[in-house]
Amino acid sequence: MQPRATARLLLIGDRLVNIERRSTDNPGRPPAPPTLLVWDWGVRVFHWALLAAVLLASGTGFLAPANWLNAHLIGGTAIVALLGFRLVWGWNGSTYARFASFALRAPRIVMHLREIASGRGAGEPGHNPVGAVMVYVLLALLGLISLTGLVVLGGVVKQGPLAGLTSYAVGRQWRGAHEALAIGLLVLIVGHLAGVVFESLRTGENLALAMLTGRKHVRAVPGVVPHRAHPGRAALLCAAIGLVALLGSVRLAALPGLGVPVLAPEPLYARECGSCHLAYPPSLASAASWTTVMAGLTDHFGENAELDAASAAQLRSWLVAHASETADTRVANLMRVADPASPQRITTTPGWRRVHGDVPESLFRAPKVGAKGACAACHEDAATARFDPQAIAVPKETNP
Amino acid sequence: MKPALLAAVVLAGTLGTLPSHAGPTQTAVLETYAAQAKVAEPGFAGFSVERGKALFLGRFTTGKPDTPSCTTCHTTDPRKEGQTRAGKVIGPMALSAKPDRYGVLAEAEKWFARNCDSVLGRACTPREKGDFISFMVSQ
Ligand code: HEC
Ligand code: HEC
Ligand code: HEC
Repeated sequence: MQPRATARLLLIGDRLVNIERRSTDNPGRPPAPPTLLVWDWGVRVFHWALLAAVLLASGTGFLAPANWLNAHLIGGTAIVALLGFRLVWGWNGSTYARFASFALRAPRIVMHLREIASGRGAGEPGHNPVGAVMVYVLLALLGLISLTGLVVLGGVVKQGPLAGLTSYAVGRQWRGAHEALAIGLLVLIVGHLAGVVFESLRTGENLALAMLTGRKHVRAVPGVVPHRAHPGRAALLCAAIGLVALLGSVRLAALPGLGVPVLAPEPLYARECGSCHLAYPPSLASAASWTTVMAGLTDHFGENAELDAASAAQLRSWLVAHASETADTRVANLMRVADPASPQRITTTPGWRRVHGDVPESLFRAPKVGAKGACAACHEDAATARFDPQAIAVPKETNP
Repeated sequence: MKPALLAAVVLAGTLGTLPSHAGPTQTAVLETYAAQAKVAEPGFAGFSVERGKALFLGRFTTGKPDTPSCTTCHTTDPRKEGQTRAGKVIGPMALSAKPDRYGVLAEAEKWFARNCDSVLGRACTPREKGDFISFMVSQ
């Protein structure tokens, strides 16, 4: 297998050089199309796949409801994988895919800007020096967005490889950075598009089309050393890096989530506090709230829910021992601070009201829900106290 | 009136001949309430399905404002599922529709204590409890 593949690749490499030779050295032959294969398939596939992944990730990140998180994560994972591939390809791709062909050099950038200002200069085969800056900034930004996203996923959602290592507070902080960087990315993408349009008009070369066909109407620059692509080597490297990353992530993701409560079942609680509503996981309210609830069972939200003294005492200490202060999940952090006017309520805490701000009031009274406190009607994992975004499934509103 | 209900009214009071779906556990619970009722009311002459039905369907102003009636949560049809004010489904109250009802005295006592206080604003008497269960086992 191996030699044959190499031979074909050699041919591709040769063709690149041949085009120039034919058009310059053999004037007798019919002139070959005066184009040069600049962007190899690796660069082109990377570019358009990255666009798709960024559209998916930013679309779901900015616009979609919380339970679309998996689509967002697929977009993000694809971005990380593509970045990994691009790094490898930057050393193993063909001439203009290589980082060496568009290294950042301040004098060249200045020279290019002067050329633009004076209206001189033509298109270049690879990235022009200013375009190169944009490429590196975009790649770095995407890397940072992915990294911060991973921290947010671990700290806030308690999922992914960093769930076992990241606190909610850290996740919250990085969430701000994640969002700011994502907005920065959108701004840069607009700048990138403007640059492509400007440069296309200036040089008469449709750069977007060139990224599709890979070809530009330019001559190879004499100084640039042509390089063949090494897809086999790149594939091996990608596989090795991917495997290490995958195994590492799986290992890390297997760690128990930091501050995710793991409770032994408490049958007394399930029986006594689960008959009128969900047996609310203790991490949904503070120790103070639970103490207030347990002290007022004979007038429990307009009902008598009294218990014998021994059971009540046992449940109170169990609830207090596992209250929101002992957990570090999003739900525990959101619902730790009670509304002073109704300290026994979960559904009046500022945190609860904030995350349900977009849920129409009528939905809570729909027959399949019944009340705000019927968490399990919309949160499939309510009993586990995780409240994962992916487990949100609001019942269809039924109007009889 | 359905024949079964008519028969129940006629035969109410003579335990053991209840025209009901009551098994041994329900009968034992009813016997306990009957014994308590005899102590509490010297003139006690047996449970009444009719009175049980009236208690179940009645509306009261003496309890908590959100729960004026047993039917607030249990619906007017004992064979149907009810719903708590917090949105959770309550299994039917009729014994025919939920055969594990009224077989454990402590369970019945706990809910009578809570629900009678919520609806009536007081505890139910042993006779009222027996009436209620007699109605439900006849359903
Ligand atoms: C007799 C029925 C009943 C029992 C038993 C019961 N509750 Fe409740 N609970 C209610 C009702 C009714 C509400 C208020 C629902 C509403 O207004 O939406 C409520 C609300 C709550 C809330 C506030 C939910 C919110 O909307 O924020 C908490 C917390 C709570 N109960 C805890 C408990 C605990 C702990 C126990 C066990 C000791 C218990 N409940 C047993 C009926 C009951
Ligand atoms: C009528 C359906 C409904 C009920 C009932 C409900 N929720 Fe939610 N909840 C939602 C929806 C929808 C969202 C997502 C809102 C969004 O897209 O931002 C949500 C979001 C949340 C979140 C944030 C999840 C995340 O990380 O994005 C938490 C925590 C939460 N709910 C807790 C609760 C608790 C606790 C209860 C019960 C006391 C409850 N919810 C009852 C519909 C409901
Ligand atoms: C606020 C709602 C509510 C009201 C009002 C209410 N109940 Fe209940 N009742 C419940 C719930 C919840 C249960 C326990 C759920 C179950 O057993 O399926 C229950 C259970 C019972 C049981 C225990 C049945 C068994 O399995 O042993 C009895 C008896 C009972 N109720 C009687 C009454 C009576 C009598 C009234 C009116 C005076 C009444 N209830 C009003 C909610 C209510």
